[in-house]
Amino acid sequence: MKWRRLNKNKMKIEESAKKAKQDKQPFQESINEVTGNLTADLNLIRKEIGHNSDVKFREFQMGTTGIRIAIIFIDGFADADVINNHILVDFMSASPKETGHPLKNSSLKDYIKNQALSVSGLNEVRTLKDITSGVMFGSIAILVDGLEDVFLVGGAKAKTRNIDEPATEGSVRGPRVGFIENLKDNTALLRRHGKDQNLSIISSQVGERSKKELVIIYMKDIVDPHLLEEVKQRINKIKIDDVHDSSYIEQLIEDNFLSPFPQVQSTERLDRVMSALMEGRIALLLDGSPFALIVPVTFHMLLQSPEDYYERWMAATLIRILRYFSAFIALFGPSLYIAFISFHPGLIPTKLIFSIAATREGVPFPPLIEALIMELSIEVLREAGLRLPKPIGQSIGIVGGLVIGEAAVQAGIVSPIMVIVVAVTAISSFTLPQYNVGIALRMLRFASMLFASVFGLYGVILFFLLLCSHLVRLKSFGIPYVSPAVSFRLNDWKDFMIRVPLFLMKRRPKLLHPKDSVRKR
Amino acid sequence: MTSSPLDRITSYQAVMFITNFIFGAGILTLPRTTTEKIKTPDSWIAIIVSGLIITLLAVIILKLCQRYPNETFYQFNQKLLGKWVGSLLSLTVISYYIALSAYEVRTMAETTRLFLLQGTPTWAIMMPFLWIGLYLVQGGVNAIARLLEIIFPITVIFFLLVMFLGMKIFEVDNLRPVLGSGVKPVLKGLTTSSLSFAGFEILLFIFMFMKEKNKVTKVPLLGVAIPFIYYSFTVVIVIGSLSVDAVVSQTWPVLTFVRSFEITGLLFERFDSLILVIWIMQIFATYVIALFIATLGLKQIFSKSTHAFIYSLIPLIYLVSMIPKNINEVFKMADIIGNFSLCLFSIMPLILFIISKVKERKYEKM
Repeated sequence: MKWRRLNKNKMKIEESAKKAKQDKQPFQESINEVTGNLTADLNLIRKEIGHNSDVKFREFQMGTTGIRIAIIFIDGFADADVINNHILVDFMSASPKETGHPLKNSSLKDYIKNQALSVSGLNEVRTLKDITSGVMFGSIAILVDGLEDVFLVGGAKAKTRNIDEPATEGSVRGPRVGFIENLKDNTALLRRHGKDQNLSIISSQVGERSKKELVIIYMKDIVDPHLLEEVKQRINKIKIDDVHDSSYIEQLIEDNFLSPFPQVQSTERLDRVMSALMEGRIALLLDGSPFALIVPVTFHMLLQSPEDYYERWMAATLIRILRYFSAFIALFGPSLYIAFISFHPGLIPTKLIFSIAATREGVPFPPLIEALIMELSIEVLREAGLRLPKPIGQSIGIVGGLVIGEAAVQAGIVSPIMVIVVAVTAISSFTLPQYNVGIALRMLRFASMLFASVFGLYGVILFFLLLCSHLVRLKSFGIPYVSPAVSFRLNDWKDFMIRVPLFLMKRRPKLLHPKDSVRKR
Repeated sequence: MTSSPLDRITSYQAVMFITNFIFGAGILTLPRTTTEKIKTPDSWIAIIVSGLIITLLAVIILKLCQRYPNETFYQFNQKLLGKWVGSLLSLTVISYYIALSAYEVRTMAETTRLFLLQGTPTWAIMMPFLWIGLYLVQGGVNAIARLLEIIFPITVIFFLLVMFLGMKIFEVDNLRPVLGSGVKPVLKGLTTSSLSFAGFEILLFIFMFMKEKNKVTKVPLLGVAIPFIYYSFTVVIVIGSLSVDAVVSQTWPVLTFVRSFEITGLLFERFDSLILVIWIMQIFATYVIALFIATLGLKQIFSKSTHAFIYSLIPLIYLVSMIPKNINEVFKMADIIGNFSLCLFSIMPLILFIISKVKERKYEKM
């Protein structure tokens, strides 16, 4: 019976939604066109957006002709320079040559377009909706008495910050360029650094209410066309009122929302995006967000840093292996400790087990509880340090570290070995170059600890098998998430655990099916 | 793009399927099972000979499959034997795989209980193992192939490493005399040593999924060669270190061998539990493949593509695995399963191959 009721409810909801749509329809369908009568038009527009205090109307006359002109713009948002130095100057000093006939309709329009107005971006619109939305997005609307076309000039000139080194992804070597919130600046950055005529930047809009520009960036002659089609389709499916940050896009286009692993790479670094494009991947940039999204992504890409390519290959390879090792520790450190201590003490060297047993003397809790206390307090500390202002955050770190490290041991709540294990684990998880991978591993660490406390080493293996089973099923935009560890291709392994010298990396990763596979001749 | 019409696996992944399926719980008892019959240190010769025979059989299976490149065994046997006989044969094969996966799971539980988790009930050990397999099999043939590719290097490298660590207690004298009592005992041991290669028939079912279908003779060759080398190596080392008498008296000779040496100065001193834990992954692989083939068979016989079959198989496997009362009955079960598979898969492909040849000729005459 229950599902029937549910069904009914669903139908009701659908009906009401239909009604709402019908109610809305007449408003949307009545396209108010500009009449050409300036006073009437202005009244119409005033009714629509005039109540906003920042919308300014300015009326004046065109040069000596006496034709009335009005400009509408948003104070502080529209480019004041364009208004003062171009529009006002141009029109007020305009002196169309006397041809005998009064300037009307098409000749007036041509005159304004061809001779009077000295700005590059010029759009002609007719409907009220276009005018108001244009003005709201920062353009300057120019209404000329007697003309049925309205000119929209220029774009918004919002204040932007300077280009800095990204705070979340530091590196010792390499360009210190990160994206900023302004999309135009970001695409310009890309153009300047990727001097390739095949660099394609395709624009689309997302958000039903607050329309934001989202650009799809790819290399036209490298990217797999199927992949591009898939990305476009997924973006077109996004129906949401507003996207505040590119992470909204990430969550709306990812493959599996139940997976703890990030299936889209997000980065502030320009060089990271550039190298991804060169591999045949696709980047997405949203206006208002400094984080670019890169798809598709596989697990090994999340453990790479752009710096791997700036260092010489030996150092880079060793660091990469270190990173895999620390990912392993971050995931399995405490659970292995729990498994060995509570289930298989016989496996540990005898001397070590004696010293561990000695330190654990007097600790009232089983290893799982001990580990949970420590891990939870570390997580709490990390979260607290993140939310507080920077100077206080640091002192929280020191105080917390002292409390956990020293006092907890002194009080006999945890053993010093546990402190070491937890600290090493925490530090290991900091070495991961992508923040969201660190979060994923932190979450999974707790699950792994539970498995270990129930089944010991067998539990750890079970958890590993479960994790692998999940990973092998996971795909990011059609690419297996565990590539290139699987579907063995020697070419792709050159850039997996080890990073071979650059002169040996002659081909782009095959797992992405690039159209042009040659990287270096 | 996200889902191709039919999942495909590469030749390398097919090799992984064969190798991982042959490996299983068997290797842990392999030195004992072969030596019990032979009673001389010549088990390794038996392994080599049977390996060669199995390779031949695997190639015959490949040739048979190549005649029906887009069908699995379940589908083309109906063409060759008629609908009813074919279905009956398929059902037999399916029940064989159910029994096999049940056996693998039970062995895993028994060894785990013995070496890792004393006192934990068998069902508690088996349940999560079964469930994880269920989750993986839902991912289809590609997911399984990828998992095999991940666990194969881990297990094999670790196993070899531990074997090499035990080299210091290896004595060549234990392997002598070679063929001291003639060829006869070796021939007697051939059946048991061939049993350890059960699983080579997997090609009958996965050939349909392969991307490359011509010139793939290397797939069965390599697929059997890897366990072949591995088995010979293990038998040589274990018998060489423990001597024939000790091997025969031990239930898990490989684990006994690993237990018999200690390496000081490393992070770990003893490796028996570790190697068992690592080998659990390999058992998992065998179990998952068997489960996958059983569900594939049910799907294709009833031509329905639902996950319902997997869900219904899990309790069945659990029940079957609980039939043996103790470890000796588990071994008896292993013998029955192994003999059955050897009879079934050594003779049947040959017969089917001949039938298909004959049918083809008839067709040509007409």
